[in-house]
Amino acid sequence: MGSVRKRALGAAVALVVGVVVAGCGGGAEEQQGGEQTLKMWTFKKSHADALNKVAAQFKSETGITVSVEAVTPDDVFVSKVQSAAQTGGLPDVLEVHAGGEDLEMGASGLLQDLQGDVDATWKQRLLPTTQESGVMTQQRIDDAASDSPFKSTKAGQRFSVGFTAGAFGIVYANKDKLQAAGLDPNTPPKTWEEFLAALKATTGKDSQQGGLSLGLKVSQTGYNWVYQPLAHAYLGKDRFHALFAKGAAQGFASPDGVKTLDVFSRLTPYWMPGSTTLGIDEADIAFAQGKSAFDVGGTFTLAFLAQNGLTPDKVLTFPIPPSADGVNKEISMSPLALTGLGVTATTKNRAAAVKWLDWLTSPKGAGAVAKESLDLPATDLGADAESLLGADLAALQKYFTGPPESAYDAADVSFFPSDYDQVKPGDLMVRLSPLQEVSPQQAGTELDKIMGSMWKATE
Amino acid sequence: MSSLAVKDRPGRLRKEPSGGRSPRRWPGWLTGWAFVFPAVALFAVMGAYTIGSGLALSFAKWNGFTPTWNWVGVQNYLDLLYADPVLAPELRRAGWNTLQVMIAVPLLTVVISLPLAVALNSVRRLRGVLRSVYFLPYVTTGVAIYFAWRYVLEPDGAINTLLRSLGLGTLSQPQGFLGNPSTALPTLILVLVWSSVPVATLLYLSGLQAIDPHLFEAAQIDGAAPRHVLRRVIWPLLRPITAVIVLLGVRDTLHGFQIFLVMTNGGPGGHTDALALMAYRLSFFKGLAQTLGLASALGWLLFAGAVLLTLVNARMLRRVQ
Repeated sequence: MGSVRKRALGAAVALVVGVVVAGCGGGAEEQQGGEQTLKMWTFKKSHADALNKVAAQFKSETGITVSVEAVTPDDVFVSKVQSAAQTGGLPDVLEVHAGGEDLEMGASGLLQDLQGDVDATWKQRLLPTTQESGVMTQQRIDDAASDSPFKSTKAGQRFSVGFTAGAFGIVYANKDKLQAAGLDPNTPPKTWEEFLAALKATTGKDSQQGGLSLGLKVSQTGYNWVYQPLAHAYLGKDRFHALFAKGAAQGFASPDGVKTLDVFSRLTPYWMPGSTTLGIDEADIAFAQGKSAFDVGGTFTLAFLAQNGLTPDKVLTFPIPPSADGVNKEISMSPLALTGLGVTATTKNRAAAVKWLDWLTSPKGAGAVAKESLDLPATDLGADAESLLGADLAALQKYFTGPPESAYDAADVSFFPSDYDQVKPGDLMVRLSPLQEVSPQQAGTELDKIMGSMWKATE
Repeated sequence: MSSLAVKDRPGRLRKEPSGGRSPRRWPGWLTGWAFVFPAVALFAVMGAYTIGSGLALSFAKWNGFTPTWNWVGVQNYLDLLYADPVLAPELRRAGWNTLQVMIAVPLLTVVISLPLAVALNSVRRLRGVLRSVYFLPYVTTGVAIYFAWRYVLEPDGAINTLLRSLGLGTLSQPQGFLGNPSTALPTLILVLVWSSVPVATLLYLSGLQAIDPHLFEAAQIDGAAPRHVLRRVIWPLLRPITAVIVLLGVRDTLHGFQIFLVMTNGGPGGHTDALALMAYRLSFFKGLAQTLGLASALGWLLFAGAVLLTLVNARMLRRVQ
């Protein structure tokens, strides 16, 4: 009986030890025969595929193996990073949203400071508007709430390097539908009013499939991609910033604000049926399938449309056109870094990880990734852009340049409250158009309340 | 095993030497603990720790990344209930939507599943096939089926097409049933009812089969019509099962957010926002703002609501038994 008990005891102890060992084994560093191996997570499947392909080239040059995993969608990515941060299971490199997420993760101690690594030469490779992406500024620190992790950072710390870039507020029009409605398929509307007239023509031709598609299920898309560039062009930079200012002296309920909301709400008759039930990708797919004549997205949408069967030669692209009654008669979209690359605080391969970032943001690496993913890089590809990206995608870059006063910079968040949340104004904008539940004046008053509460939260 | 048991029994009668366990017995004690340790550890980590940690988090601000939490006391609860001018109205609106669903879903489920169970219980032919057919929604329900419902309910979906082909175009929804604020929430309620009726029917069927058939015969001999049998005999006897169905419906409504996330994401314009969806959004869709504590506080408010409803339900059950 004693031996039975011993065997049982041995089995139980082995089980417990096995469980403990298995539980602790996840974060082990992979080092085989001195070969360095990096792990990287991204929230974009298309990027993971492209990165895994170019990783072979990187390995042949450096001997460093990189394995890239896509964790999608965004909420799953965030929760996985949260869990991994608690259990010590973070990879070596993360691709994160630029312009906020990278700074939050850096301030929270998940990403390393790369200030000493990204020198002037490195920065020069990047597009001018993406060079400072991922860098903490004093204004960000000052504007943050007193208990924000930003308060523990220092101005100048860099938590990511810009990886992909682009702009929102790019309109795609189906050339066939334009032609069917009697419009010139090669001439984009120059003003908001001409755009509305074009929508009237296409919906007049086909009321069901001639409208504008946009994924309003993600309610902030209409607000962020259409309203903001439109209002910026209508009011000019300073009066646009004043809409969001603390105290709302010239806020959304002011004549300025109400006028911009009124201009936006003129879209109401032209939304594609059911646009409030569509996600961003679903709206793009609906456009590619011919269920709408116009679609609003970003520079990144072109590749997605092509993947879904609508080739670039069949679409006319232009930025959200400015209203003829507004201050700015032209509009250009400053390219902003959409994603950035960061090195995690727990990596044991810092040098290799930095080398990987360096290579990916070099013209050679960025070009290779861009060619595979059809996504605009934050690296300036110069004369090679067209050969690497294709003529149509490279042509989108022409909307990046224009008079400085007419440039809409979506990356400029200096005038927002630090806890700015786009969902609440986005919901309200949907209630303005297409739902028509509130008038422009009511929407303005509600928006001021929302901004007021966000400012209050920063106190 | 039996010899081991017999051998051990006399040992229990022996007086233990003073000073603790016998050195010869501790391996047995350790063996027992070693076997129960995985279960205890699992409960300690997945149960006690998680609950305790979640409760503590509801009194803090945290974004899930920083090594430390910022303690704010009961401020998260106050912000949700009235203090925050943005969160509090959002909570009230989501709460009102949740309340409507919480009342409508169990009510409609009972109204549909009880007569259905009675009918299925009385049919003699194809009983098995019919039961399988009516149970099908439960087997297929889940995220995938919510996507399928979205396609059916969209502007050019099956329901609008059917209505138009039947000459009932005025009933069709040009923006889709989920795109119109006045039909979005009722539509979600109907989909929830559709997915909850099978289990309720099954529960009622099991209850019906447990009723003594002589009661039905006696009622029929006394001249009771079928509706009287349903009202005076079946309904009172099945009241405990009704209470369980209602409780399950209320619980699902309080905690379930998948249908709201997949089918409407709380839209259009926030008209189908629900409390559980709001908690999910506070956790993962706030751009890494420090809202995990708020999400946890909302979770505990939902828990308190669920406990309250359970107590009410238990009281109702005691009263009807």
